Amino acid sequence: MRHLSLAAPLIVSAPLLLSTLLLLAACEPAPPRSEPVTLVFKHARILGPSDPLPGLVREFEARHPGVRVKSESLPWNTDEQHQFYVINLEGGSPAFDVMMLDVIWVPEFAQARWLLDLTELLPRAELAAHFPAAVEPATWGGRVWAMPWIMNVGLLYYRADLLARYGLRPPETYEALVAQVKRIQAAEGDARLDGFLWQGKQYEGLIVNLLEGLWANGTRLLGEDGRLFPDPARAEEVLGFLRRLIDTGVSPPWVTAADEELSRRAFGDGRAIFLRNWPYAMDLFELPESRVRGKVGIAPLPRHAHGARGSGATGGAHLGVDRRTRHPEAAVALVRFLAGAAAQKTMAAGVALNPTRTALYRDADLVRSHPSLPLIGALTAAARPRPVTPYYLMLSSTLQPEVSAVLVKVKTPAEAIAQARRTVGYMLRDVR
Amino acid sequence: MTPRRRADRRAGLLFLTPALLALALLTVYPSVWVLWLSLERRIPVFGVARFVGFSNYEFLAGDPRLWNAARVTLAFTGASVALELLLGVLVALALSEQRRGRRTALALLLLAWALPSVVTAKLFEWLYHPSAGLVNFLLGERSLNWLGDPHLALPGLILADVWRTTPFVALLCYARLLTIPAALYEAAQVDGAGRLAMLGRITFPLLRRVLLIALLFRTLDALRAFDLMFVLTGGGPASTTETLTVYAYRSLFQTLQLGFGSAIGVIVFALVMATAWIYLRVLRREGMAA
Repeated sequence: MRHLSLAAPLIVSAPLLLSTLLLLAACEPAPPRSEPVTLVFKHARILGPSDPLPGLVREFEARHPGVRVKSESLPWNTDEQHQFYVINLEGGSPAFDVMMLDVIWVPEFAQARWLLDLTELLPRAELAAHFPAAVEPATWGGRVWAMPWIMNVGLLYYRADLLARYGLRPPETYEALVAQVKRIQAAEGDARLDGFLWQGKQYEGLIVNLLEGLWANGTRLLGEDGRLFPDPARAEEVLGFLRRLIDTGVSPPWVTAADEELSRRAFGDGRAIFLRNWPYAMDLFELPESRVRGKVGIAPLPRHAHGARGSGATGGAHLGVDRRTRHPEAAVALVRFLAGAAAQKTMAAGVALNPTRTALYRDADLVRSHPSLPLIGALTAAARPRPVTPYYLMLSSTLQPEVSAVLVKVKTPAEAIAQARRTVGYMLRDVR
Repeated sequence: MTPRRRADRRAGLLFLTPALLALALLTVYPSVWVLWLSLERRIPVFGVARFVGFSNYEFLAGDPRLWNAARVTLAFTGASVALELLLGVLVALALSEQRRGRRTALALLLLAWALPSVVTAKLFEWLYHPSAGLVNFLLGERSLNWLGDPHLALPGLILADVWRTTPFVALLCYARLLTIPAALYEAAQVDGAGRLAMLGRITFPLLRRVLLIALLFRTLDALRAFDLMFVLTGGGPASTTETLTVYAYRSLFQTLQLGFGSAIGVIVFALVMATAWIYLRVLRREGMAA
């Protein structure tokens, strides 16, 4: 079905066509089967001062004589990575063996039968060492399709110095958060100090923020029966709240265009009191040249009126094996090595990619260099994955414009919810 | 037909074959395939592949997101192409009048045109940055929420596109201006024509054809605009910058609805073809195309 992926972009856009052709060209020649096993490992480039992957790969090769690992980088953004995988996996020859997967793709790839079923190839206890919120999205239809590798979780960052100045503790409810913002802003009298920053751009991050809001209000995106917005009244409350944050000046208007980096930078410049973001931000706030060094605290996300508690959404990367690999044993060995405690520790120490193994959050060496790790571990233990379903990307992509429309007052929450339900209903007619 | 001519004809066809084959392989075959796909409900992840006739089009006809994307595409195309042509002509005229530093000016112009559009998008992301951006710095107290306001995001993208492609129009026009014989202007001067008269009677009429070509290229490009909005706004806020190609891309590659996405693709295709056909008719009337 290769022509399938080729045909579509041709009329859509020339750049897409070009990239598709390049991708096809890149994966065309299947390497001849040589005696030493060569595994192709596809992964995103790990940014940071020192990429630990080459070292880890060399270590794996040293332990497995006769196995060579060829690392190949993926495109720079996740949309293009997804596109790359889809085109290659739907196409003919096996182009790679081990692949780094965004956690939200695993059920989709499993459903499409692109991934090797790892259930029988992993020792039973192996997954128990990882956070449940990382194992859940690796499992689909009762089978295991990937190994958790890198963990991410939504957190509330707060300016500990500002809160201390007014004798405040990190807010447990969004109501309290709003009150604290108003109080601190009034007392500080600094027009350049924003209240609460989050991600409101029309992209995946917006849906993460929405999910966290829904959970904080005691509801969810998908009901047990698979219905979208099972409790529309509570969903409307959450959407209305997000919109009011902007209306009342608790959040600046530009959060409607903010992604993680935009909001992280503004907070890092000392221009906001609260920020919702991932753990990577903490390492940047603690850099010697940071303006907020030593002034930032981490807390669980607050809750809404109907919620018992706030939970962060999880993200991160998993490792999967191409179903058509010619070296399943070696590929699984590489996956287990990379997701193992030693490798995860190396990655956490080197570039602060948080481990999916719970024990590492109490590791003495890691805690010494990353003091916030135990707290992040506790919050990750209470975190929840995004809906684990093969059509998550479709859901998210349908919801993004609707939620964005609420934030910029183009639609009311009720209108957005109704439209999202209509579209999703059409898309999923044949699927469930 | 003489044998000789027939042989010529056969040789001609033979020489044409590679080009025709390439066209058939790269254009006709995929187009027909996409057309066929658009009549299917095909979702490979779920193993769904069945013929549904015009069901995708029926849904799209009542899909507010599609109509919005069409409006955005047309607004983007109309505004950006009009501004690019206007500014392009002005820049070309300025260039041809310039005495010193013409090479530097040309090089600077080319720079904007030569930047990959993703780089341009990143550049404008920083220019429009809510607090650190140059644009808002210059606006001072009245700083604007460029990419997060449903009324400003599209104009913001249009400005970025104009910045990027005005040089293309300017260089085309400039090249044409260089070929206008100075004698024409001298004769006009002798006849007592002023600067405005010369511009209106000589320069513009002679620029007309090259402008039509630029218009054709730019319109077809703008109708398929993708990179800028994809990188800068992701189509938001509220899909106010989501063009048809962005919508098609999302359906095809993110949600893997191949039939549905192809239907959007076919609509873009039809739009581009119709526009091209209208332009080609105009050009033919101008005696510029066979």
